[in-house]
Amino acid sequence: MKKLCLILVSFFLISCSEEKEETLFSNISPSDSNLNFTNSLTETNALNILDYLYFYNGGGVAIGDINNDGLSDIYFTGNQIPNKLFLNKGNMQFDDITESAGVAGESDWNTGVVMADVNGDGLLDMYVCAVVGINGLRGQNELYINNGDNTFTEKAKEYNLDLQNYSSNAAFFDYDNDGDLDMYLLNHAVHTVDTYGPAEIRNNRTYESGDKLLRNDNGIFTDVSEEAGIYGGANSYGLGLATADFNNDGFTDIYVSNDFHEDDYYYINNGDGTFSEKLKEKFGHISRFSMGSDVADINSDGYPDILTLDMLPEDEKVLKASMGDDPVDLHNMKIDRYGYHHQYTRNMLQINRGGEYFQETGLFSGVAATDWSWAALFADYDQDGQQDIFIATGIPRRPNDLDYIKYVSNEQIQKKITTTKLVDQKALEMMPSGAVKNYMFRGGANLEFSDQSGKWISADTTFSTGAAYADLDNDGDLDLVTNNINQPAGVYRNNSDGISGYLKIKLNHPAPNTFGIGTRIIAYSNGKIQTRQLFTSRGFQSSSEPVFHFGFGNLQTIDSLLVIWPDNTFQVENEVELNQTLTLQPKNGNSKVDYNQLFPETEKWFQKVDSIPGMDFAHEENRYSDFDRQKLIPYKISDRGPAVAVKDLNGDGKEDIFFGNSKFKPAKIYFQTSNGFTEQDFPELRKDSISEDVSAVIEDFNGDGKNDLFVVSSGGEFSGENQALLDRLYFGNNDAQLEKQSLPSYFENGSVVKVHDFDRDGNPDIFVGNGAISNDFGKTPNSYLLKNNGNSFTIVENSALKQAGMVTDAVWTDFDADGWTDLIVVGEWMSPTFYKNNQGNLENVTPAILSKNLNGLWQSILPFDINRDGEMDYLLGNWGLNTKFEASEKYPLKMYYSDFDDNGSTETILAYAKNGEYYTVLGLDELVGQLSFLRKKFPAYKEFAGKKLEQIFDSKQLVEAELHEVNTLASGYLLNNNGKFTFKKFEAALQLAPVTSFLKADFNNDNFEEVLIAGNYFGTTPYHGRFDGLAGNIIAHDGKILEGNEIGLNFTQKSVRSLNIITLNNSRYLMVTFNNDRPAFYKIHD
Amino acid sequence: MKHILSLIFAALFLGSCASEEQRPIEISAGDYHNAVDRITNIMVHDIFSPPVASRIYAYSNIAAYEIIAQNNDAFPSFSNTYHNFTDIPAPDTTKQINYRLAALVAQLETGKKLIFSEDDISTYQDSLYSIWEQQNPASFRDSKEYGLQVVAHMNEWINSDNYKETRTMPKFSVYSDDPSRWQPTPPTYMDGIEPHWEKIRPFALDSASQFRPQPHPEFSLSEGSDFYNELMEVYNIRREMDKTGDESEEIQMARFWDCNPYVSTQRGHLMFATKKITPGGHWIGVCKIAAKKSNLSFEETIYAYTATSIAIADAFISCWEEKYRSELIRPETLINKYVDENWTPVLQTPPFPEYPSGHSVVSGAAAMVLTHIFGNDFHYDDDTEVQFGLPVRSFTSFDQAAREAAMSRLYGGIHYRAAIEKGLVQGQSLGSYIVEDLELKPLQPQTAGL
Repeated sequence: MKKLCLILVSFFLISCSEEKEETLFSNISPSDSNLNFTNSLTETNALNILDYLYFYNGGGVAIGDINNDGLSDIYFTGNQIPNKLFLNKGNMQFDDITESAGVAGESDWNTGVVMADVNGDGLLDMYVCAVVGINGLRGQNELYINNGDNTFTEKAKEYNLDLQNYSSNAAFFDYDNDGDLDMYLLNHAVHTVDTYGPAEIRNNRTYESGDKLLRNDNGIFTDVSEEAGIYGGANSYGLGLATADFNNDGFTDIYVSNDFHEDDYYYINNGDGTFSEKLKEKFGHISRFSMGSDVADINSDGYPDILTLDMLPEDEKVLKASMGDDPVDLHNMKIDRYGYHHQYTRNMLQINRGGEYFQETGLFSGVAATDWSWAALFADYDQDGQQDIFIATGIPRRPNDLDYIKYVSNEQIQKKITTTKLVDQKALEMMPSGAVKNYMFRGGANLEFSDQSGKWISADTTFSTGAAYADLDNDGDLDLVTNNINQPAGVYRNNSDGISGYLKIKLNHPAPNTFGIGTRIIAYSNGKIQTRQLFTSRGFQSSSEPVFHFGFGNLQTIDSLLVIWPDNTFQVENEVELNQTLTLQPKNGNSKVDYNQLFPETEKWFQKVDSIPGMDFAHEENRYSDFDRQKLIPYKISDRGPAVAVKDLNGDGKEDIFFGNSKFKPAKIYFQTSNGFTEQDFPELRKDSISEDVSAVIEDFNGDGKNDLFVVSSGGEFSGENQALLDRLYFGNNDAQLEKQSLPSYFENGSVVKVHDFDRDGNPDIFVGNGAISNDFGKTPNSYLLKNNGNSFTIVENSALKQAGMVTDAVWTDFDADGWTDLIVVGEWMSPTFYKNNQGNLENVTPAILSKNLNGLWQSILPFDINRDGEMDYLLGNWGLNTKFEASEKYPLKMYYSDFDDNGSTETILAYAKNGEYYTVLGLDELVGQLSFLRKKFPAYKEFAGKKLEQIFDSKQLVEAELHEVNTLASGYLLNNNGKFTFKKFEAALQLAPVTSFLKADFNNDNFEEVLIAGNYFGTTPYHGRFDGLAGNIIAHDGKILEGNEIGLNFTQKSVRSLNIITLNNSRYLMVTFNNDRPAFYKIHD
Repeated sequence: MKHILSLIFAALFLGSCASEEQRPIEISAGDYHNAVDRITNIMVHDIFSPPVASRIYAYSNIAAYEIIAQNNDAFPSFSNTYHNFTDIPAPDTTKQINYRLAALVAQLETGKKLIFSEDDISTYQDSLYSIWEQQNPASFRDSKEYGLQVVAHMNEWINSDNYKETRTMPKFSVYSDDPSRWQPTPPTYMDGIEPHWEKIRPFALDSASQFRPQPHPEFSLSEGSDFYNELMEVYNIRREMDKTGDESEEIQMARFWDCNPYVSTQRGHLMFATKKITPGGHWIGVCKIAAKKSNLSFEETIYAYTATSIAIADAFISCWEEKYRSELIRPETLINKYVDENWTPVLQTPPFPEYPSGHSVVSGAAAMVLTHIFGNDFHYDDDTEVQFGLPVRSFTSFDQAAREAAMSRLYGGIHYRAAIEKGLVQGQSLGSYIVEDLELKPLQPQTAGL
């Protein structure tokens, strides 16, 4: 007791004397707590990271009340040292009872640990995993059955759980809903062959490394992996295991994170004892070196979201000295040739959209880069009602240090490796340390997290691997425990102590699942829901206490709790008082929950149509890598097609469709028939199939009553004055054929064509916006206004318009409401630019209209009166905020364009600001690939890493370069206020990928116009990953943003180029045109 | 070890010359060997690919040789052979120029400009310079100045060889459905290196395609076709070798001639490189062995190095021209795809197309030049690879060594037979041409001397 007073006193002393912000957590020292456990690793010649790739993965933590005294006890696993069990004596005091309890373990190398009541007697047992069989490591997975008197007996063999393989961790849960706990065993591969096998090798079961699902048959666990559809291959580097009912159907699903090139596994429980693995279908991309994970509903929609950890460093000094993502070609090879999914080296936060698809928001949410990360734990640490994240990090040696790989390792290892296959201590010690602070993020609204590392928790640098949470001191909040390599285990005591409302719930569930694993509780308060499902295996190699914990800010009571028991019966607890620990048990007569009622199907606005008769168009992007030629450009320019134009071409009054195509592939025209479409051959068009078509318009240009076709050529491959870059004009003739006409000669990579009779001479004129220049990215292209003279076009000289920038989209619109239709042009590395039509003369009036610099990577524009005030506003699609690019008004994203190495070809250098300093976006190897002088300037990576831009290039080089900037990457809209426009950002849901297309229509027949928004883009290097998360959103009449799964759309993993409405048989259809795919058709509800 | 030696030398010189101000600075063939070794070591550290390394050897030796040629009628300039070369500036005869010193300065300075990690060379230069300055300040300064003047003059020529331009040229595109087309190989799947090397200005060749080899057997995976047979030979030979194991003569040969500047090993997250000299570097080493064994003078030593390095550099240009013309797929890729998914070659497959074998072309060319200079039956013990943990191998002629180097690629599992046999012929023809074009002369072994 005295000790407690002392602690309290010193706590207050500290917080008073130093006027700094009180930390949410304080570190409890082992000398105070008696938690003396250090996972000491000893590298030997016989066993080190060279022989065992997971030598530095560390141990785990399991927390639970083993003696049912109301205090949570702690068990640590040691890799090479005995495991330890500590009994909680209260007041953060612990007793080491390992010896008397008989739980030190017999295995040579321990990994994960789980506490669960395996035999259903109401007492927590412990399952300890081991790595057995490599490098002479002996032992087995051990099951310590709780004898009820603080002693345990190892009985793995009796339960058929005495597996001897390469285990990471296990999870106990009831997969077949038969009332008892089954087990999923997570194993890891040690496959060190220097080739990637094809992804299918996951189908070939391997005992040692393959995962296993074991069904509990009256206390004997039977391996049902094969029949249940669980992969068990030699390439399953399983490091993370999470269970949840991801699709809210009452059956527990599984997410397995795998290291290296193997995909993660997303197993959906079919409810019949089998699982369907659906990772590729449901996830656009995943972590590459997936390690630990956790699952929680972070956006309060009742669907569990997933965080998977990886190893992307935050610190520039580490980042640029470490191996990063694969080069483009290798990345593509793993996908195209070997069948793996899109994987990128960073933490991924996967937002579950109604079980239909996941949207990855890690970069947007600010949680992508936490360096070498092991355990993730979602919980409401500050009890404000939002899930926060704790991440345990650190590795004793960084084997991915580039200097080590390329320069240091050579001399030290070379001879040893060729002769003895051993590495000595000296060689190991040359690897830099990866001591990193543990991370803590505060959860906010709208998928945003703020970094509280060093604020909520101390920024001490440890090698923390396994981690678990529990209310160790029974003060209502969650404390954290980490298992550290070569340092004492960490305890972070949570000091929330009643500042905010909490609710803890323990379950008293009938045997054999006495702790009610799998139970789901939904808390209703203030019109908001919070959902938790009880699974204890989470984080990394660890299990947390089997208790629910909720935070509710300053509330005293909440409206109700909906408790759904593992058998899917439910009960409701109303008016629940907070700041207490409830114990709940199933009531008699509970009825089954109806998930369809709990998560009702929304009324879908769009109904996918499998096929339209006669419509067989498929856009196939030709395989071309812009990065082969211009290695430093920020993104491709060769993949912006296809062009689409919808209008009657044959004069029968029905809408026909023109689809442009990629290089060497002919464009296609489909005439509408009575029930669908029929492809019509146009020899004139076919002759021009060398050109890549990215934009087109159908219009009667020569006033002969027949519609004509204008096609914009592009593709980013042809350069100079190549004929294939010429835009084309075809007049419709009497035979319903097209005849090619001449146009002024200009050679550009076009991007958009927009038609308007700007000079009011009765002939429709044309604006052609052009994008980046082939092999000379960064130079401003020329865009053109083409005046229609009745039968021919001439270029209107207008220098301001000509050098508008790298244009992507444009719109003719009377933005100043003077009766003359003006032009707005948007593009990349430029501001939306306003050209006022002074009675046939276009004048740039942007400065008078925009108060702020709005340079963006703009993709699209749509006039739409979003606030319904009668003034036209403009929706703007930008790159989005889910990106590694950083841009703000103060610190714009910069692109320097120049011939830096003075060899006749230009380069672009991109730089972003971090903490107020500019750094190159690319690493040394990428830069050197084009600018070899940098290798001479920086012979080692550590000399380059962390260097500011001006230390990498001399000031003369930077001053002489042409500078392009981006101030905002957010999509949003320009709000019209009496002819002046202010930019407003869209909400989070619309910032997850580039927005490429808008479509305005009354989709739900409510007599108001809504806007459909779509995008996604894949033309970037693996460093950026792919932007694949937009499913299609509606801005409804009331301004609400509807998500794709709510309205029946799913464009995730597809890159939308065009949205059109086509009337077919008096029904309206939405046609969505994608790059490199077939168009999709959706019937719009009548 | 070398460091210690030079320190000892330094100490010796320091000790002996402190009193005598104006004694001539003495520079031996050994000093030149040391300087070449320095450059080699940095190239290994910096991981220069074989073609790029050959360029560095050639220019650094040429810089030294042209200075020697200025002052010694026995060693005529090769300047007529080179393209776009203008004669180096004539020395100021009023100055106290020590041509050996100037040549060494030019060699080191040119090498330093072309490698990445300059520090080690700078330290080495500083230690030499301080000794020389003490020995004879005036002569040192004049000679160094002349050496640097020549380097400055040469720079313009070096910079106009298209090297800089090729840095920005397109990567080799892997996007193709042609089953015979080269694809990156395990374990690191590196991009094809130097796809535009044929655009580098050659030294003695008229054009990169001058010695284009006979075509390889037409790509075909039909059983019984020549190509298929050659593919299966690579596979079967490995099986035969495996019966004997690591001690088999074939595996010893393969390892000895690996000469891969960057072999990457991956163990999970742990990755490391094992580095060696390039094929060109190996033959430069053979040149050193022969020069030392023959007790060549300083001037003769440079002559031999220069001729050998020109042959090697042009051999790479010639070889690379065909490599990226035929773009032939490596045996490892085909065997993994069609024969045995888990097959790995004895050596790591280098990251560029298969045909012809670079080592065969280069060995053929270098051996031809060395044979002409040192004679037909030149017996020597090759200890070049000892520093990389490999044994000494003895040869009775350069030609024998070249044939073994070529065949080792088949045992290494990285080349088909045609690449070796036709590559060797290509190299030999190219070597003979160099001998004629440079009007190379045999050097008589010296009985003693510097």
